[in-house]
Amino acid sequence: MDNDGEEDEEEFGFSRNYFLAKELGGSGKKSARKLSEIDVVDEQELRAAVSNIEPKHENEIADLMDSYKTMYSEWVFQLRCGFGLLMYGFGSKKAFIEDFASTALTDYSVIVVNGYLQAINIKQVVIALAEALWDQVKTKRKTPSRDLPKVQQPFNSRSMEDLLAFLDGSEADENDSFVCIVVHNIDGPGLRDCETQQYLARLAACSHIRIVASIDNVNAPLLWDKKMVHTQFNWCWHHVPTFVPYKVEGMFFPLILAHGSATQSVKTATIVLQSLTPNAQSVFRVLAEHQMSHPDEEGMPIHDLYSVCRERFLISSQVTLNSHLTEFKDHELVKIKRHSDGQDCLYIPLATEALEKLLLEMGQ
Amino acid sequence: MSTPFFVLHKASSSKKDRKSSGQGKVRKKTNLSPSSPKNRDKLDAESSGEFNVNRYEELRVEAFEFVWSKIESTIKDVLRGINSKIFNELHRWVRESFNAIRSYGEPSFLEATRSFPLVTNATPRKLFTGFVITKNMEFVDDILTFEKLGQLLQSHGCCVANLSSLDFSVKNGIGGCIKSLLRQFLMANVDAADISILASWYRELGNSGTPLVVVINDLEQCSVSVLSDFILMLSEWIVKVPIILIMGVATTIDSPENILQPNALQLLSPCKFELGSPAEKMDAVVEAVLVKLCTRFTVGHKVALFLRNHFLNQDGTLTSFIRALKIACILHFSLEPLSLILGRLLVEDHKDGIDDVLPDVMFKYVADLPPNMRNQMADQNGKNLAHGLLELLKLQKFWSTVVLCLYEAGKYSKVQLLDLFCDMLDPDLYTSDNHVGIEKYVGLSSSDDLCREYSILRKGGSVCQIVSILRDLPTTMLSRLIKSWAKITADVSEIHDKVKVLQSFLRSEDGKSSKRTSKGISKICSSTSPIKVDEDSRVLNSEAIAFIGFLVGNYMRPIECIPFHEIVCFKNVAKLRLALLGDPRRRVQVDLVEFHKNLRCSCCSRSGNALIPSMHDSAIMYSLAQEHGDLINLHDWYQSFKTVALPHRSKRKKKSNSPLPKKGKDTNDLGEKSEATIQARFCRAVTELQITGLLRMPSKRRPDCVQRVAFGL
Repeated sequence: MDNDGEEDEEEFGFSRNYFLAKELGGSGKKSARKLSEIDVVDEQELRAAVSNIEPKHENEIADLMDSYKTMYSEWVFQLRCGFGLLMYGFGSKKAFIEDFASTALTDYSVIVVNGYLQAINIKQVVIALAEALWDQVKTKRKTPSRDLPKVQQPFNSRSMEDLLAFLDGSEADENDSFVCIVVHNIDGPGLRDCETQQYLARLAACSHIRIVASIDNVNAPLLWDKKMVHTQFNWCWHHVPTFVPYKVEGMFFPLILAHGSATQSVKTATIVLQSLTPNAQSVFRVLAEHQMSHPDEEGMPIHDLYSVCRERFLISSQVTLNSHLTEFKDHELVKIKRHSDGQDCLYIPLATEALEKLLLEMGQ
Repeated sequence: MSTPFFVLHKASSSKKDRKSSGQGKVRKKTNLSPSSPKNRDKLDAESSGEFNVNRYEELRVEAFEFVWSKIESTIKDVLRGINSKIFNELHRWVRESFNAIRSYGEPSFLEATRSFPLVTNATPRKLFTGFVITKNMEFVDDILTFEKLGQLLQSHGCCVANLSSLDFSVKNGIGGCIKSLLRQFLMANVDAADISILASWYRELGNSGTPLVVVINDLEQCSVSVLSDFILMLSEWIVKVPIILIMGVATTIDSPENILQPNALQLLSPCKFELGSPAEKMDAVVEAVLVKLCTRFTVGHKVALFLRNHFLNQDGTLTSFIRALKIACILHFSLEPLSLILGRLLVEDHKDGIDDVLPDVMFKYVADLPPNMRNQMADQNGKNLAHGLLELLKLQKFWSTVVLCLYEAGKYSKVQLLDLFCDMLDPDLYTSDNHVGIEKYVGLSSSDDLCREYSILRKGGSVCQIVSILRDLPTTMLSRLIKSWAKITADVSEIHDKVKVLQSFLRSEDGKSSKRTSKGISKICSSTSPIKVDEDSRVLNSEAIAFIGFLVGNYMRPIECIPFHEIVCFKNVAKLRLALLGDPRRRVQVDLVEFHKNLRCSCCSRSGNALIPSMHDSAIMYSLAQEHGDLINLHDWYQSFKTVALPHRSKRKKKSNSPLPKKGKDTNDLGEKSEATIQARFCRAVTELQITGLLRMPSKRRPDCVQRVAFGL
């Protein structure tokens, strides 16, 4: 599920090639065309265009949603019988699950978790659930609050174990009293770690909690072991493709064409450089100019850079240069390459054209 | 949108009221006895009025809860029965171990609550440890077993803490498991992970007569170093805090030796216990729930096969089997309107016993069904249905008795009940010639003949296996078998009579008077054809085989061949499979390939395999990706997407035959706009495929390619 599993690549290589060989019979296309050959429009324009994409098959999708509406009662029945609902299939299921919750689950409090976000505090969610359950129990009994067992501590200062015990407890006398938690993208980046999944599983197993969740990643079931699947989440699977665009879910994904293109790199580089001191900028400029005037060289030896910068009174010592270089390296403005004669060379990982643009922007 | 979580709505109280009143109605209705016409009238008035959908929803939930709680408690009883022997052994061992620890001598209070001075070196510091072999790699089945064990020990006056591998993680270290231990023993949250707290608690509460038992259900999953530390620490405190360990071992008895560090291992005083195997438990559960029909709820042949294969191939855990059964039960009540009758029947059964249910009571149930459900049976006379229902119950009882008798015999040849159960449900094997008079198998003394005679036996299923074992079964075993048959059939007189004949035959056998003509079944069946008797001792065997033939021929009617079986029988295997196994890996890809089938759009389904612009962007992209290898060159992918998405432009592009960047400059404003749109659509489709996990983003090494992750459906 990670994008950057460089070392995984080799591992997967063998099995992947095996399946490919079977699938394609060796007819796979090989091409060395560069992404930069596509003339990408300005990023802002691209983003604007993404948000204005004309929808296709709107009527058919609406019909599909209506067909799912007929199943709402069946789903509520499954929830009441103690199962969790797991929705999967291609397309964003956010709107439709919320529609289900707000039309068919009105008898129960519903809390929605947006798992597609980067960071989610699971404890806050559990506190909210406990509060919702507490409210539900109070209103249902319709007795003055003094008759109720006192809540010893406000929920937000209780420990996770306490909260889970409360949600799993028998304080609400009726079986059918539960709070529903809707988790969009239970396989999302904010919930994907093992600990959170364990908490979610324990949460789902609580007697006063029912869970409705959606997954989008085809490998999402790998997040769970058998205990979680069979005894805690207790999933009832529902295949509900919607073909609705993943608008909010995809919000945090970089646009493939904007990402890594020359304009994009120049833009980020400019932003980073502008935040640095004028001296640091000048040091970068020295390096950039050297790279442009010596396009065939592997880079600029550190020693050369030091002497040029010293001559121009940009730095006073090797230490200052090193601190600038560290800054550059951290922002991936500069990389180090070992020269064939053994000394370290500095280079900027940008094409000449992009570098030109960058120097122009810096000058402005 | 960007809040991590929010409250969608609070529970509405107004609806709640309406619903709870609905529930009241249900209660009233189920308590209704046929002899209270007053209530009946009220009900009629109610049903003649507007039909309350919620009421049926409540009825449905109630019926399900009734059926499932009965199945669940039956399963619990069965498992308790299987485990009770081993649990009692464990309890005895805990007591013995505790007494052994006590015999080391009791430290004074001060001594006992401090870590120093250590108890004298002479004291053996062995930690009594029971290794429970679970015979099951999947610990999920045994979570419940160990919970029950804990409860049993608790009820016998032990203090029990259940720890799992999660408590023995490297991350939390030894502190984590001590905290968890303290929380469970002291019933309070303790911040300090200090075992001396436990020691003080043990002394102060005057618990000195109580053994402390720590159950760790999955030894193999624990972090070795943490567990070893835990053992070392406990052994130092053993006299002060008499803890006895019970550990679940999933693999073999030597695995603790291989796993634990030697210095920890030498501190243990082990004892071995063995639980029943999953297959044993499985057979016991199937027998109680699906063969003895504790709730009359049953499943069709295909569902039974699916459940068996799910158990054997997919998972092998009883837990998942029970879960599958529960889903089947839920689906039955939510898909089959007639299933409500089952719920009502059981309530009645609960009160008076099923045999006392009168046909007119059942008629009432049918009459009470909502009109839209009744319409399905419009051509059915209600009375007919009621009688049909009684017949159904009777035939179910017969079937159940037959299967039990066969299973009893099958035990001699290790026939698995699950297999037998599946065979016995097969409606294809039940043909009209199966349902024949006794005459047909008169004179059959060999199983081959019998197998030839009956289609169910012809296919070489478990019955054939049973018949062949019966042929050679020694008389002593046979007489034991006949005795158990007599027990099984005690309340089915039609079959019991035949067993009695067998028994009398057995007695005469015993009296070594086989020459005397005793009226065996085959004899009764027809006096005209003589029995082929090879040897005297074989006579009884052939009689037993004839009895099996008699059972199979007359009473073995698979549930799906009985009218009105829809009331009690769940058959929709496709639905069950879907609910039980998600298979998102395949289905999401199928969604993309066959999206027009899901959307039922006319424009795209006509195109066949060709890609057309009206198709869903991600579907186009997915199809295009299939043409690439594991790496997809983004440039090429974009170009081919553009060709599909803007087909009219592709010709011009070919004509000009110029690389794209130059062309971009030529295009007018409109062209640029569409260029932006295409790029945007491309980006979005890539993101969507990335969200589904079918793609990996470019790596630093290959910035121009994305990587396909899933291959093949």
